[in-house]
Amino acid sequence: MRKVLRSYDYKLTRIEKGYNNRSLYINVGDLRIEEKEVTQFMKDKFIGGKGFDLWYLWHAVTPQTRWDSPENEIVMSSGPIGGITQYPGTGKTLLAAISTLTDIPIDSNVGGYFGPLLKFSGWDALEIQGKSENDLVIVIDGNKGHISIEDAGDLPYDTHLLTEALTEEYAENEDDKRSVSVVCTGSAAEHTLVGMLNFSFYDTFRKTVRVKQAGRGGLGTIFRNKHIRALVVKFKGVKGNLNNPADVATINRIGVKMHKQIHDLDDKQNGMRKIGTANTVMIMNQYDLLPTRNFQTGGDPEAYRIAPEVFVNEFLTQGIHDGCWYGCTISCSKAADNFKLRTGPYAGQCVTVDGPEYENAAGLGANLGCFDPRHVLEANFYCDTYGLDIISTATMMAFVMECYERGQITREDMGGLDLRFGNSDAALELLHQMARGEGFGLIVGQGTRKMKKIFVERFGADEQLLNDIGMENKGLEYSEYMPKESLAQQGGFALTNKGPQHDEAWLIFMDMVNNQIPTFEDKAYALYYYPMFRTWFGLMGLCKLPWNDIVPADNGRTETPAKVPEHVQNYVDIYNAVTGQKIDKEELIIQSERVYNFQRVFNIRMGKGLREHDSSPYRALGPVTREEYLSREERYDNQLREQQGIDPTTMSLEEKLAATRAYREKQFKLLTDAVYKRRGWTNNGVPTPEHLKEIGMDLPMLLEVVEPHL
Amino acid sequence: MKVLHCKQEICIGCGECEKACSKAYFRVEDRNKSAIRIINNDNTFRAIKCSQCGECINMCTAHAIYRDRNGVVRINKKLCVGCLGCVGFCSELSMFYADDLTEPFKCIACGICTKVCPVNALEILESKAV
Amino acid sequence: MIKVNTRDHPWQEGMTVRGVIEEKKFTFRHLVVRVNGNFIPEDQYEHHVINDGDNVMVIHLIAGG
Repeated sequence: MRKVLRSYDYKLTRIEKGYNNRSLYINVGDLRIEEKEVTQFMKDKFIGGKGFDLWYLWHAVTPQTRWDSPENEIVMSSGPIGGITQYPGTGKTLLAAISTLTDIPIDSNVGGYFGPLLKFSGWDALEIQGKSENDLVIVIDGNKGHISIEDAGDLPYDTHLLTEALTEEYAENEDDKRSVSVVCTGSAAEHTLVGMLNFSFYDTFRKTVRVKQAGRGGLGTIFRNKHIRALVVKFKGVKGNLNNPADVATINRIGVKMHKQIHDLDDKQNGMRKIGTANTVMIMNQYDLLPTRNFQTGGDPEAYRIAPEVFVNEFLTQGIHDGCWYGCTISCSKAADNFKLRTGPYAGQCVTVDGPEYENAAGLGANLGCFDPRHVLEANFYCDTYGLDIISTATMMAFVMECYERGQITREDMGGLDLRFGNSDAALELLHQMARGEGFGLIVGQGTRKMKKIFVERFGADEQLLNDIGMENKGLEYSEYMPKESLAQQGGFALTNKGPQHDEAWLIFMDMVNNQIPTFEDKAYALYYYPMFRTWFGLMGLCKLPWNDIVPADNGRTETPAKVPEHVQNYVDIYNAVTGQKIDKEELIIQSERVYNFQRVFNIRMGKGLREHDSSPYRALGPVTREEYLSREERYDNQLREQQGIDPTTMSLEEKLAATRAYREKQFKLLTDAVYKRRGWTNNGVPTPEHLKEIGMDLPMLLEVVEPHL
Repeated sequence: MKVLHCKQEICIGCGECEKACSKAYFRVEDRNKSAIRIINNDNTFRAIKCSQCGECINMCTAHAIYRDRNGVVRINKKLCVGCLGCVGFCSELSMFYADDLTEPFKCIACGICTKVCPVNALEILESKAV
Repeated sequence: MIKVNTRDHPWQEGMTVRGVIEEKKFTFRHLVVRVNGNFIPEDQYEHHVINDGDNVMVIHLIAGG
């Protein structure tokens, strides 16, 4: 029996058209538990999800708050559409906190059951503030209306053990396990800044607990810093009408239409049900866009070894439902069962590995020069159970490997680890060090921005080179896509709110291959529309994959196939059907603009959010090194001719590198100018009062922050 | 396993099977609540009903669909979350739903309709399991 | 000379849509092709002849991350 430190009973009420109209506040320091009203103002301006998270976070912190200040909060929320079962991808939870890496808000999304179960338990959002002395477990029982804060006792630390133990403990029987969702991290979250949060769900086919991740920004590190071991939500009785929507018939009709579309077309399109997101790996390689060896090149002859077919044929269990919330017929959450681990504390055990998603195969595989699928799966498993953000970890390790190969750090500096590209064993050992909080793992775990400083100051590395090849922006690592030849994607990564995470805009093909956004204005429009559009998913509790990872058969004949207009209309109709509102496609964008601009101003309030913070490491813009230039010599030479009217035959390699760089950096500046203008911001990246007024966000709290910067 | 079979050539499209089915399970005579639907194609009649193929079993997102001891595909209403994925996925379009019901429904080869068909077009067959 | 996604591409007699796709190494299988603004269905790629001066758009419908 665990010791209960605080108990709280609450009244169970109905959800009205997607909202409970109340949120929960828990302080793990003084054990306060409070209920707060969700106001009409909040619903009008912030909608839900990420909007509510940022609203509550703003009020919790001051400009002096850092990630480990007690007043930093982790806020989590579903959204008004969250939890419906009829449409795919409605199980997301959205989180926000002041990030360990950037000192500004990170927002993160995670699939699974937690968000809906929290919502059905009675809460539109959950704030967790304060710091405990001893490790706690927070339990929310949504059927009994009961919350308890308990001493963690002797529960395990690593996710695969912890989620199993708590699911077992809180489920009444086997059938009940699907009612339990556990939020936790792993041992690496105590020793690194890149700890993430795992959100569990029970897989009724495999009869095992599985996890999805809220990966970016150090949420797991903050969680452990607050001495929370786990958060458990329990709710039994999920049905499609629990949101008490205004118009269930419309939701049903659109849901059935969508399920049928997925049934008829997924095999011919992206094969999400078979392969999941890793289907992209070989495509990226074929188009020279797979980040390889720290984003130096766009592919490798060995990439076929981690092609999606390899995982499908040899590792991923097929033919059973793989969705991470009810009703998701995209079913992309693939897993490899009975995978035997080779290294680390669980060596010899057979486990279920969640993945690999695209980021894992591209990041832990190609970007580290490791093309062994078993390595990708093993690294995937350990990152998950240790609580490491795979994207940051992969990009950080790629940086380390390149520094070593270029003689910027020595084997001795790394405590003896031979971290060459392709050395899987060394890469895995580094993960184990990060989990144990030992050796070089302690340095790497601080993230790329801090590593650059350490390598320069302690190991005598070349500052300019490290700034060029360290793929971070605002302190957060780049996710696993090559922006080098796509000006639009350079903006899609750097001109973001939270940092270079691709969930704002993924424009690489539209820009480079389709060449659909050739002018600055075209790119600026795309960098206005797509981040706003994608923000909307985060307000609603939705996953974006059903938007465009499957498209209607006639989508190609529409005017703007990239927007997938039929699906956008689905979302408008479903939102109206749940909430009883009457928005259209234009209002959808304005809903997002309000929260997007709020987040930008929040960044400014926290001391960043300006043009200088939207700058890009040169590796993201163009070829840093001789080898990079030579690997694409014909392309770059042609660009000197076509774009600058310079004759490359008379130039040395150094001169060509310099001329390319000057041009690329200028292009990025011009893009930034155009994007800020389109977004209604000053040339320094500050939302103008006129623009804030236009979107209905001329709130005194925001005007106060932007005024001094105008 | 038990399967409902229709001798379509002799069906006269009277709709008595639909009435009997919806009345038995939903206490109303409404073909939208019948698990057998007769489609009139230029005075040729076709019966849409579940063939018990079982494709929906592994795609059910709540693991709520199973085969009973007669081999008939059934929905466990306690586990069903009303996602209607099976409705969208049924290749025969013979999984049905209604907006005032929380779970979808289908033919379970009960035989009630076979007794009201005036031309004996309907019968329950024993078929080898798929 | 023809244009493929607004970039110049050399033209040859007898060139088809399929030929252009292969020359450009567009291996992605979910494409939308328009020639001079007209949508060309996939089953026509082998047969549809490209003329000199044509404006060919080969849009990849890739969702990305």
